[in-house]
Amino acid sequence: MASFDRMTPLDLADPASMAAALAPELFLTGASLVVLLFIAWRHKTHADTRWAGWLTLASLVIAGAILAGMAVSGASALGLPQMISLDAYRWAGGALVLVAAIATVLLSIGYLEREGIVAPEYYVLIILAVVGMLCMTGAADLIVLFLGLEIMSVSVYVLAGYDRQSAFSAEAALKYFLLGAFGSAFLLYGIALLYGATGSTNLQIVGSQLAGARLSVMAALGLALLLIGLLFKVAAAPFHMWAPDVYEGAPTPITTFMATGVKAAAFIALMRVLMQSFPEAVGAWSVPIGVLAGITMILGNLVALSQRSLKRMLAYSSVAHAGYILIGVRPGTPYGASAVWLYLAAYTLTTIITFGVLQALGRSGERDVTLDRIAGLAEERPGLAFAMTVGMLSLMGFPGTFGFIGKWSLLNASIADGERILAVILVLTSVVSAGYYLPVIMSMYMRKSPGPGTYADARLGRPATLAVAVATVVVLLLGIWPKQVISYADQTSNELRTMFIQQGY
Amino acid sequence: MTDFLAGIDFSAWALHALVLLPLFGAALIVVLPARLARGLALAVTLAEALVALGLWWAFDPAAGMQLRSSHAWIPAYGINYIVGIDGLSVFLVMLSALLMPLCVWSGWNAIETRLRGYYALLLVLLTGMIGVFIALDLFVFYVFWEVMLIPMYFLIGVWGGANRLYAAIKFFIYTMAGSLLMLVAILAIVWHRAHANGGAFSFAYDDLLAYMATGSLGTLKPWLFLAFALAFAIKVPVFPFHTWLPDAHVEAPTAASVLLASVLLKMGTYGFLRFAIPFFPAEAFAPLTQAVVVALAVIGIVYGALVALVQPDVKKLVAYSSVSHMGFVMLGIWAMTVQGVQGAIVVMLAHGISTGGLFLLIGMLYERRHSREISAFGGLARVMPAFSAVLVITALSSIGVPGTNGFVGEFLVLIGSFGPHPIAVGIAATGVIFAAAYLLWAVQRVVFNKLDKPENQALTDLTRREWAILLPLLAGILWLGLYPAPVLRRTEPAAQAIVDHVGTLAPRARSAHVLPGN
Repeated sequence: MASFDRMTPLDLADPASMAAALAPELFLTGASLVVLLFIAWRHKTHADTRWAGWLTLASLVIAGAILAGMAVSGASALGLPQMISLDAYRWAGGALVLVAAIATVLLSIGYLEREGIVAPEYYVLIILAVVGMLCMTGAADLIVLFLGLEIMSVSVYVLAGYDRQSAFSAEAALKYFLLGAFGSAFLLYGIALLYGATGSTNLQIVGSQLAGARLSVMAALGLALLLIGLLFKVAAAPFHMWAPDVYEGAPTPITTFMATGVKAAAFIALMRVLMQSFPEAVGAWSVPIGVLAGITMILGNLVALSQRSLKRMLAYSSVAHAGYILIGVRPGTPYGASAVWLYLAAYTLTTIITFGVLQALGRSGERDVTLDRIAGLAEERPGLAFAMTVGMLSLMGFPGTFGFIGKWSLLNASIADGERILAVILVLTSVVSAGYYLPVIMSMYMRKSPGPGTYADARLGRPATLAVAVATVVVLLLGIWPKQVISYADQTSNELRTMFIQQGY
Repeated sequence: MTDFLAGIDFSAWALHALVLLPLFGAALIVVLPARLARGLALAVTLAEALVALGLWWAFDPAAGMQLRSSHAWIPAYGINYIVGIDGLSVFLVMLSALLMPLCVWSGWNAIETRLRGYYALLLVLLTGMIGVFIALDLFVFYVFWEVMLIPMYFLIGVWGGANRLYAAIKFFIYTMAGSLLMLVAILAIVWHRAHANGGAFSFAYDDLLAYMATGSLGTLKPWLFLAFALAFAIKVPVFPFHTWLPDAHVEAPTAASVLLASVLLKMGTYGFLRFAIPFFPAEAFAPLTQAVVVALAVIGIVYGALVALVQPDVKKLVAYSSVSHMGFVMLGIWAMTVQGVQGAIVVMLAHGISTGGLFLLIGMLYERRHSREISAFGGLARVMPAFSAVLVITALSSIGVPGTNGFVGEFLVLIGSFGPHPIAVGIAATGVIFAAAYLLWAVQRVVFNKLDKPENQALTDLTRREWAILLPLLAGILWLGLYPAPVLRRTEPAAQAIVDHVGTLAPRARSAHVLPGN
């Protein structure tokens, strides 16, 4: 076999190398400007908006290719990574974000047209949000993390309120902005305190400064505020209050984006911060995280049970899923990091399916799609009903779907760490979740539709159909052949650990 | 026959064929036009039955676990697709595969909507059932165990009776609740074993069994046992976890009722014999557990029978009779004598044949009259003599009249349990009497009495298709009742192995009551 030339480690003190290390982010920033220029030229019709969408899609795909190229060539940092990490967890996290963004664009192209929104800037904001998310998944420095979070958040605040005709959309944006600003402030205050305690904002230097001693009050407070800021973004209880209203009010593709991309970026960043800066203080953070995981699972599932609107039900279920993922965060082990990534991957793909089908069924924000409104869907639109069924089963964590592999690896990580009570809460709340996922399947397959032609206008459009169909197939395939994806997840997270071990902390 | 099977090297592909054949069949049915669905389903299930029949000759009672094969699935966690059969599973596999063509055929005219979905789901269900009985890797077992829920859920929910939505979701959630806790328990065992073995993972049944016999799980063990036992107890179902059963049985279409009663319930008792008891012999036969299980089994026997007595709906009557019969199986298992365990296995088979037959007969009646109320019938013997005769024979076999399959198993259970649990046997024996009461009374009201309802005057007797469905069952009833020796010979080593295993690991379980000759 021909020897494959591994990329020599990048010296991040050198600006050119730093630019190479930031290639996907820089490329997307440039792409956002190109799309912006295009918009300045063409911004009047649906066709213009659609073209902006295709341009965005192309740049996201190219960014993905750049990211994949860096991953394959084994880009790494010389010495301690400054500002941005060059490791497998970044590539893996970036892949999630890009998949989420590509699906969002595919879902948006038909949606904007249908809802009569002519606004090509929408896509520029998506690109910028992705830049922020990529910064978050790769941040090796708390400041980069904060910058990424803000770039992402500001873009998403605007996107949440994009349907200017709808009062609910405006309400969602305002609520998200006000509460999100609090979250960011907490995060920033936490960073400041940590800087005060350690004299650095570099994740690994913070880690080495904190090693070997009890956590000081200042550092502990910094950690707590940092956690609050990130838990805000993932919508874990008790910081989830904004989520249902915002998810429900936002245009559906943006809801998809928030539930997948935002959540994935925040969880990857959370995992990285905890494992690189606070590996020894695991005793200090695993207890509160475990407690919050339990509260989030119970609360999210029980409240989802009583929702009538499917969109709102999925919003609460998204809170519940954040609780599940926290179980993987809690032990602070590579198994946990691997499970977090796997579950995020499963949840991202599944959410693309569920919200995609939802947007085909509804009009003007999908707020009114209830169980009654999907009765008998299977007879008229078997494809949509099948995709939704796969989505529901995957969210439930049923064997044969990727969701099961995700849930299984979370249970695995928790039990490996000797934590069984959370594992039991996870499975019991999963049973509760069957109480709201199953009625969806039931309504589609086991009830009569109000009359022929009810679903005649339930159309997804070709781009969105592609996204939903690919996600459905992948969810099923990875549920049956999970071998490669599991070993990939294990590899990436092992790298996350070996870094601080190698460097002798 | 054995030479022929050896000539085609039956062992290498038989179990894989049993799992894959229905899946391919289901895929074909989905893509081909709906009018081909039922014929194709029948052809696939007949082929499946033929392969399963070959197991009768290919199976060597003395060889223990056989036809084993193993393929890597998720190597990083030591998960392999391991399958094999022994005396415990071989008849359950055969029962599933042989009943299936009859079930497919039973819905020939009754199912009129969404034919492709119906037959494809039946075939997927078949894969799940076979998989549960042959899986020797706990991850694989769990996957089959859960996957089976989906087809059954749809069969009840789409093609079921008036109250089908409630029944379907109840069935699903009950089963899922139990099995997810079992998944946690499986993972806990696997991780304890991995820690003890320097991080080497295995979900293989043999590895975990060996670890459970030597490794120390300490205070965790009773909890793990509880998780396994709950999953299986819900499926059996053991009183008081039985409430999903009457709903599911009554609402399900005929084929699904037959499979629920004949095969799915056996998965619970099979799980006890295969997993819960060999893994946790000391916990399973601790004095307290033993008292509780035997008490619940006896309550199930008597309660099921008493409730069956007052049912106006004949399908519900048969459903409650299942609760009663499965109580016998539990009693036989917890006797932990060779007769008791063998009796339990035979009751499982016998109940599968008799109750399956009863549900099929009720289905035929329902197709003609669209009613299952006992009061809607009466005097059917005059218009449907052949049907009535078959119904009487099947009912007698369900009661356990000597000469039928029901007698052999229940008799063995009662003999085997008399030593360890004499009082329980005394009460359980009344269950047989109650069974005679509720079934004969029901048969009398349906078949005999006066033919006083005008709607019943013109009912037609069994068609040729219905005869073809019922004859194999009648043959099974009489053969197992008159000459059970071949079955007993094939199950005995497996039963002996379980009893020995428990005897060495939990000596208290084998009390001094063991009958001479064992």
